[in-house]
Amino acid sequence: MSLTRRDVLVAGCAGGTALASTLFWAGNVRAQDEAVQLVERLTGQTPTVSDRLHLVMPAVFPTGYTVPMDLDIESPMTEDDHVRRIRVFAPQNPLLQVVDFNFVPQRSVARVSTRIRLAEPQYVVAVAEMSDGTLLMTKTWVDVATNGCI
Amino acid sequence: MTSPTPRVLVPSAAAKGEVIQVKTIISHQMETGLRHNSRGQVIPRKIINRFVCRYGGEVVFSVNLHEAISANPFIEFYLRATDSGRLEFIWEEDGGGVYRLEHELAVA
Repeated sequence: MSLTRRDVLVAGCAGGTALASTLFWAGNVRAQDEAVQLVERLTGQTPTVSDRLHLVMPAVFPTGYTVPMDLDIESPMTEDDHVRRIRVFAPQNPLLQVVDFNFVPQRSVARVSTRIRLAEPQYVVAVAEMSDGTLLMTKTWVDVATNGCI
Repeated sequence: MTSPTPRVLVPSAAAKGEVIQVKTIISHQMETGLRHNSRGQVIPRKIINRFVCRYGGEVVFSVNLHEAISANPFIEFYLRATDSGRLEFIWEEDGGGVYRLEHELAVA
């Protein structure tokens, strides 16, 4: 079998793509694990990654001083099933606690917006403490161009 | 520095059971305690560390704010209109400063 220049190039590209996707996937899993470990360290409880939490932030933002953050949690907010508290962390900030929101069943809705400071591009982590004591977690990557913490 | 001025944007009337949007902001430096002055001394932390919303005397929503909240903290949240009553908004500052606003909500 003779190996043509075309074969070599095609194989090289395929290999490169496979390698890149593996690295990307590994990086993603590592970030997920780190966020879970961080929450375990801070709360002593293992969170469940959930898609009931929606943490909406810009993927890229020019300044770290006022990054908009929208949080929305799917919850009926009844006495039996509600969100007690949401805590937000920015793990790469000099002080990683950002904010805690406390809700009251049947009176408030588990939806808030605010503006936060970020020191560098990072995953922002939101943890919801539910009425049955479980922790739900989500995270969103935010790329900021300037440090908002100095 | 001028004294912090709180502002809220909230409807004056709502239908029973309706979810109302509440927007609040207070002009405040939110000094993080991480900055230094020209002589290398740390500028002490002074932030709004707590925000509480009472509805008819009862706490219905509250926030613990940390250093990573932007200057002029803006908080938008949602309440369920249950009865006509007074909404009270309270901001607490490091060092004991308290800023308040009140608003009457009519529920039909």
